Formats: sequence, C-alpha cells, structure tokens
Amino acid sequence: MPSSPVTPPAIDVRELRRVYKAKPDDVTALDGIDLRVESGEFFGLLGPNGAGKTTLIKILTTLLLPTSGAARVFGFDVVADTKKIRRIMNMVAGGEQSGYGLLTTREQLWMFSQFYGMPVRDGWRRVDELIEAVGLSEQRGQKVHTLSTGERQKMNFARGLLNDPWVFFLDEPTLGLDVSAARAVRELVVAWKAAVPGRTILLTTHYMAEADELCERLAIVDRGRILAIGSPAELKKRVQRESLFRLELTSLGRGVAALAALPGVVSATLAGDQAEAPDDRQTVIVNLALSDDSALGGVISALGPLGAHIVALQKSEPTLEDVFVELVGRGFTQEAGDAGVFPAPGAASEARTGRDAIAAVHARETAEDGATADEDERAGATVEPAREPVEPVAPRR
Amino acid sequence: MSGVEGSSTPGKVAAGLRGRADFDPARAEGHGLADSRRAFTTSVRLGWQIESNWTDPLLFLIFLVARPVASALILIVMLEVISGGANRDLRAFVITGSALWSFVVAGMAGLAWSVLDDRERYRTLKYLVVSPSTLVVMLLGRGTARVASGAMGAMIAIGVGIVFLGVPFDVTRVDWGLLVPVMVVGLASIVALGLLLAATVLQSRQDSWSYPDAVAGALFLVVGAIFPLTVLPGALQAVGLLVPLTWWLEGVRQALFPGALSSIGGAGSFYAQVTGRLTPSGGEVIIVLLATTAIVTLAAATIYGVSERRARDRGLFDRTTGS
Ligand SMILES: Nc1ncnc2c1ncn2[C@@H]1O[C@H](COP(=O)(O)OP(=O)(O)OP(=O)(O)O)[C@@H](O)[C@H]1O
Ligand SMILES: [Mg+2]
Repeated sequence: MPSSPVTPPAIDVRELRRVYKAKPDDVTALDGIDLRVESGEFFGLLGPNGAGKTTLIKILTTLLLPTSGAARVFGFDVVADTKKIRRIMNMVAGGEQSGYGLLTTREQLWMFSQFYGMPVRDGWRRVDELIEAVGLSEQRGQKVHTLSTGERQKMNFARGLLNDPWVFFLDEPTLGLDVSAARAVRELVVAWKAAVPGRTILLTTHYMAEADELCERLAIVDRGRILAIGSPAELKKRVQRESLFRLELTSLGRGVAALAALPGVVSATLAGDQAEAPDDRQTVIVNLALSDDSALGGVISALGPLGAHIVALQKSEPTLEDVFVELVGRGFTQEAGDAGVFPAPGAASEARTGRDAIAAVHARETAEDGATADEDERAGATVEPAREPVEPVAPRR
Repeated sequence: MSGVEGSSTPGKVAAGLRGRADFDPARAEGHGLADSRRAFTTSVRLGWQIESNWTDPLLFLIFLVARPVASALILIVMLEVISGGANRDLRAFVITGSALWSFVVAGMAGLAWSVLDDRERYRTLKYLVVSPSTLVVMLLGRGTARVASGAMGAMIAIGVGIVFLGVPFDVTRVDWGLLVPVMVVGLASIVALGLLLAATVLQSRQDSWSYPDAVAGALFLVVGAIFPLTVLPGALQAVGLLVPLTWWLEGVRQALFPGALSSIGGAGSFYAQVTGRLTPSGGEVIIVLLATTAIVTLAAATIYGVSERRARDRGLFDRTTGS
C-alpha cells in the first residue's frame, strides 16, 4: 500500500508563527498557522502578495526557522530533522533564473545528483531520464546561460525531481513563463504526481485557474493566517448564496414575471443583450437566481404552459477568484471597517467590496450579463487577484 | 526494504517520473561519510569548472600566472628603483612572498566568493542548502578548487623567479621534512581564514565581493610577505606573530631556500627580543603554525556554525541584493 496507516501526514503544521525582524517594525509573516496535508494530496496555497506563502514553504523546506510552533514533514521536525527532510522533499521556485551558467544542462543536473548522494553512474542515468521527462533532450548539452526562462524552469524541475521526493514544494512555479511553457510545467507536475500514488505537492500560485485545475484542496491565506481550507468546489460553495442559471428559451412573452413568482426563485430577468441570439430563431435569455438547485424543476415545468422551449441551460458557478476576493476582501473590511475606509458591511450584504461588490449586485438585482461575466473570468484563465480592496489600507503590521 | 517500482504501467510514464511508491524511512537516512566525500569532490569539480570554464585553457593558464608574476615584477622594479640594484636575498624574499600571497588570497576568497557567487549570481545557494549535503563541505570543495588554481599560479610564479630573476634555488637543498607539514598545516589555516570570511559574507546584505581582498590586504602588511617583520613597530610584529600565515610563509621560505632571509626573526626583531634567538627553527615554525592554526580553525568552525544558523533564522540563504 502506498500510504499505509502508519504514514504520517505529509505536512503537519501547528500554531506556526514566524516574525521577521525588520527595521521600523517587526513583520509577522505567519500568525498561527494550522495545516495538515495528507500524503498523496495536491494542495494549494492562495493568498495576496505578502500573505506568508513563501515563508511557510521556506520553513517547510528547512530554509528558514520558525519563530514558534511546530512544523513536520512526513513526521520529521523542520528544526531537529533537517537532513532527513532534505532527503525526502524537494522544491522549485519560479520567477528566478538559477543555475551555473557555464555548465551544460546535463552537467549541472548531474552535479546536483551528487549532492543528493547518488552514485556517479546512477546520477548520469537519472539525469538523462529526467532531461527526457521534462523535455530538454535537445538542450542537454547546451550551456545553462543560453537556456530560455522556460527551459531553465524545466531544468529546475528536473533538479527538483532528482531525489524522487515524497513531497514537492512549488512556489509560483509558472511565474514568468509563456502560456505553453506554463502548460508544459503543469502537465509535468500532474504526470509526475499521477505516476506514483502517495506523492504530495504543495503549490502556491496567483493564477486562480491553475489552482482550480490542479489542486484537490486549497488554503486561502492572508496576513499570515488561513482564512479557509477546502476543495475548490467547497470553497466556491461558501460564497455562493444562490444557484445561478442561464436559460435560453425559444420565446417567453411576458412570462418572466411568472417565473419570478415561482417558489424558490429569487429573481428571473431577461438578459439585456439579446442581440447575441441568432436572429432567425429569435431566442430569449433569462438569468435565474434560485435559492436552491431543486427549485429548477418547478421552473422547467412552468415553461410548458408558457409556451417556451429550452434551447440551452447553463449553470453559472462562482470562480475561485470570487472566493478569493470575498475572503480576502472580507478579512480586510472587518478590520478596516472601524477605520471607516470602507463602509461597514450590513448584516445582509456580505461585506463585498470593489469589483466583487458589482458581481454581487449582478447576482441579486439580476443585472443583464452577470452570467457572461462569470464565464469570461473562467475563460480568461489567468486573472490577477483583485487587489484593489486591500491596497488602500495601511499595513496592519 | 526495497521499494515498489512505479505502480502505473511503465512505458506510458516517462522513466524520469517513475519512482518508488513506498515511504521507506530508510530513504531519509544518508550514507554518512560517503555522502560528504561525494559532495566534496563534486564541489571541487564544480569549482574548478567555474574557475576554468569561462575561457579556453590557454588563456586561463595565462591569467593564472599573469597575476602573481605581474605583482612580483612590480615589487621587483620598485625594489630596484628604491635600493638601486637590490641584493639577491631580498629579491628572492619578495618573489616568493608575493607568489605565495596570491595563493593565500585565492584560498581565502574562495569560500566567501562561492557563497556570494551562488547566492547573487547563480541563485543556487538555496537549492544547495535544501539538498542533503552539508553546506560547509560543499563550500570547502569549492574553495579547494580555487586554492588549487592559486597554487598552480604560485608555483609557476616562483619558477619564473628562479629561471629568469635569479632567485637562488637548489632542489637538492630543499627541506622536504619541513615543507610538507608546513604546506599541509598552512593550507588548513588558509581554509580556516576563508571559512571565517564565508561566515561573514553569509551575513552581509550588501555585495561584499571586496571583503576577502580587504582582509587579505590588511593581513598582507603583518605577515612578512614582501618585507621582514622587523621593519614594523613591535606591536604590529606581535600581531603578525599571532597569524598562522606568518609562520607558514617563514616555513616555506626556510624549506625552499635554506638560509634565506627570515621574515620573522633577524637582528632587532620583536621575535629576537622575546625569545633571545635570532630566527625560529624549523621545528618551532611547525609547532607555532600548528597552534595558531588550531586556534583559527576552532574560531572559524564556531563562527561559521553561528553564522549558518543565523542565516537560517533570518532567511539569508536566498536574500539577494537585487531582491
Ligand atoms: N527576510 C525578510 N525580512 C523581513 N520581512 C520579510 C522577509 N521575508 C518576507 N518578509 C515579509 O513577510 C511577509 C510575507 O512574505 P512572503 O514572501 O512569505 O509572502 P508571499 O505570500 O510569498 O507573497 P508573494 O505572493 O508576493 O510571493 C511580507 O510582508 C514580507 O514583506
Ligand atoms: Mg512568495
């Protein structure tokens, strides 16, 4: 069995705090983190700049000491068992150009294989296998300083996989890569993880789509605290107050009001931009907000008597970005509320701010293209986290 | 316990991605000394490649030799001008001293520059740190490569002095019994000083490429490299006598050129005043060299240990000037 019951959690962090000594004021980068990642999980850390993600990874990879609290990797303590942890984990960070420029790809990787204690020949064999696996065969004899950013990152991945780590720490691994290089890296990570059960990955990223696509569970971190943990679906559920549907019908006449009156329907509105619909078969688009998915049945059975036929039905899900903005934005608003920077949230309006507030309005007041906006965000893949609500605040630290 | 090969169908998965599916705790254990030896030799190799790879071998050799020969020549010319036809003894003194000194600088700077190179330039320091190899072992290996290239330069420079500049040398008179232990212990003291510098630059937040040169320059004055200590005030002579390099230089000179001018003793020297003898004997040189080296090594090891731990506490392994 890959993960027998005796296998300790891949990552076990308790009450972890890290304070950096800094000039005017000390910086609390981690403010009491509790986290448990089981072996075999693909776990993501999301959070705004300065949230403490890199600090957590640096502690877990033995680059940095915690100020207090405990952190264990496969049961090994980050302070007491550094050597052991170093043998069974590895890490790759993005956005940097690392490597001994004068060596060839192959030489550089072999050198690291020696630092991982591999016998000379095994080292060369492993290096060649990995060069092949990451797709650098053509660059094997090329000097490292001539590699492109993407190629260097692939080489860095090969280095990270040399010791067949039990847990792989990835700190923004696709930062600065073009679309295809980033995809290649993601595919590599997925393939590596799938090849052997039990392999664990801890990933940080600012790309919501990447986190959504890759991670089985996520923690959203802000200012050194974990705001929420769960699968992407669970997290999305947290911010979803109504089920949103986009209904395309042959015709509806004045039936929108009838739909809106049905039990469980919070609102039903005609989408404003009807020009999108193909003109020969005049269709109508209705945005529905339901208190629960089950109310959809009532809506559909009500359509027949209204003479409307369904052309398309689409459920609109909140995106991870909605979750992110909601949580990070709310965390901020609660603290800033007293300072009066932003209006204090009413009990009903969930303290949404900035761009997200608009989304909320769309959802509630049934604006014309709420659903399409959602789709755009998903299609747009790499949306920068909405930082507007957080930036105007004086740092808490 | 042996592991299970990759559980998914081999062939479909690239060989490099396959691996063991068990969590055998034995994998968290290393191979002790064998690992250190491997890390050391690999680092020597890496250091040598970094040292020599930037240009073709011929240019590299020229560069290796040019520095010590040039600095020796500058000193010779100055000597000729000042003293107007210097005596052969002093000339030999200056040539060996400056040649050996370029070796000292290479050795001392080697470890510190490896820290700076890997942190600032190659951005690999953190990846070395998270590998299971011991950082200090890797640094020592890198330093050794620089020492080796420095030693080659020094030997060639001395050779040039013997062949072209009239340094009196007679192979049959070389005192190997003194030379070998003095070289071994002296090397240790150079490395220990290098470790001290590495510990210092590990902490520094700014570029500190010039630290090794600055320290070497300061030491240069008090170790009797190009002039005998007697010309210095007594207090500085005393400081010089506490530095192992002083004794190393003296030992090497005595071994290579028996009867040559002493850098430590001589009429009116602080050494002569304290001991009542004119020059130290070979045995005395070895003993004092051993003692001072032991002290420096102990201090270096302690300070380096503190420095590395502090670097881990402050997150300095991946701190670069630019970020
Ligand atoms: N060496 C250091 N000295 C002082 N403060 C530091 C140091 N390293 C990080 N910090 C501070 O700690 C906080 C957390 O930084 P960290 O790098 O962990 O954030 P992050 O979540 O990785 O951010 P990003 O998404 O921008 O990478 C920040 O406020 C940062 O300024
Ligand atoms: Mg970061």
